[in-house]
Amino acid sequence: MTLVPVTYKGGIYQHDIIVDLIEDLGGYIVQKHIIAAEVVLQCFVPKDDIELIRTLAKPLFGEVTDSPLVGTEIAIVSMSLEIHHLPHPSCDIAEYVRRIGAKSNMVGLARGPGKRIAGLNDEERDVINEHDIAVYLMGNFETCIEYKMPTLRRGIEVPIILCGGPGEAALRRITDPPFDGYVGNVGRFMRRTKETEQLDKMDEIIAVITRVVEKKRDDIAKDPLSVSPARLMDLIREKVPDILDVTSPTPLTVQMRGLRVKLPYDRYAAPLRTIEIEDGIKIGDVAEVVPSRMRDYILVKILPFSETNMVI
Amino acid sequence: MAAMEYFEVECPEQLGGEYYRQITNDVLLDHNLLKVIEKLHVYIDPKVPVFVAVGTLRKITTTVRVRDFANVNPLEGKITLVISDETYLAPMLKLFWERFGKDHVEQPDRFTIMLYDVRTDPKEIEDLVVADPSESLFRDLIYAFRCIAPEGFRLRKETFAKDKFSFVASENTLAEDIDALVAAKFALTGEKP
Repeated sequence: MTLVPVTYKGGIYQHDIIVDLIEDLGGYIVQKHIIAAEVVLQCFVPKDDIELIRTLAKPLFGEVTDSPLVGTEIAIVSMSLEIHHLPHPSCDIAEYVRRIGAKSNMVGLARGPGKRIAGLNDEERDVINEHDIAVYLMGNFETCIEYKMPTLRRGIEVPIILCGGPGEAALRRITDPPFDGYVGNVGRFMRRTKETEQLDKMDEIIAVITRVVEKKRDDIAKDPLSVSPARLMDLIREKVPDILDVTSPTPLTVQMRGLRVKLPYDRYAAPLRTIEIEDGIKIGDVAEVVPSRMRDYILVKILPFSETNMVI
Repeated sequence: MAAMEYFEVECPEQLGGEYYRQITNDVLLDHNLLKVIEKLHVYIDPKVPVFVAVGTLRKITTTVRVRDFANVNPLEGKITLVISDETYLAPMLKLFWERFGKDHVEQPDRFTIMLYDVRTDPKEIEDLVVADPSESLFRDLIYAFRCIAPEGFRLRKETFAKDKFSFVASENTLAEDIDALVAAKFALTGEKP
């Protein structure tokens, strides 16, 4: 059964029918937002059953759309959290990515700006590495990007998408080894992205992110994970009721290769490892439960089939 | 809004220069400073790196009075003020409270203020000075240029006088002959520092 990421949008009236249906079909709801009288569900559903959901959603005026970024956590790396980069363009891009289903976190570097003085510390490096992909938002000058990029990418293991003021060709020329994705002509600017031209640029960023995510999905498919992250999410939500009291918008954040559990590591890591998934197989058997560099959260890294020799 | 008489952005990287022209324009527009600046020359060299902005200022002697943004209508013992622009509403209310007391000032909605039992002549109220934009002018200008300059450029040297200003920023120690560069940029605008 292949699960595909989709977004369901519809009225609040009788939306539990859709929720039940997705769960009965073996799908998972990753995020659920209720905004006034509207419900937005970001979920994984079996590929063959999308039509069935569409048919049942029709009388409720619900619509199902593909959203390839559901179930990914993306780091939007801004050179700093100063007025120079916020709210445009950093927030604009982080928000745009969020709209199509990704969970985006903004990472503001302590010493990101400048040319010679730019740097990346170990905490920032580890936090970025905890994400699925990182989107670097650079400034407008080729010289500066060329000079500081080797420092800023040191130790980063996740795919990086580079956005900067110079054109795409120039960005490719000044970076070696090449990055996973490039978006040119989007550097620092001080105005809201609302005109068609600027929104097209946003769509271009999304297209590049989607391409990189798809490539990463293909890589994962070659050596599949022992258990699907969405399934673990459902299981933890069921077995650890304390997660329901966490006020964070996504207490369980699904990633491509694992998930982030927003509970203190000290108290919850040991019980988490002993949760049984199926036939005596515990979470600790198929995943590494490690402390996250983000606050005192827990990071669950699911091991691939080649290491555990099982897929459940 | 009056446009600038002279506005140039000079940069060895052509595309970067264009972006900075846009940023400068946006920031000055956002901070309402376009009408204050007469000439502006911005020079950025990311190789050095250095950011220079020089220019001249227009004289703005106008103070903002009540009549500039409100209609004062006296009627049967009360005076009604209908406001067209909210920018200076807060300082005006503060002024009224101090002068007439809170009991005599009422604001039924965003664009209306009523003054009860006030004996002052309506003409006098119209002439009350609410704000003087030139008071915070230099502070606003410095803030705006800090926004425009690349963020890493934290070593600054700025001179703001009555009618001329220069703003230099870099991430390295500024060169000793930086004044010569400033003078050269001033010369491009047809002025002397």
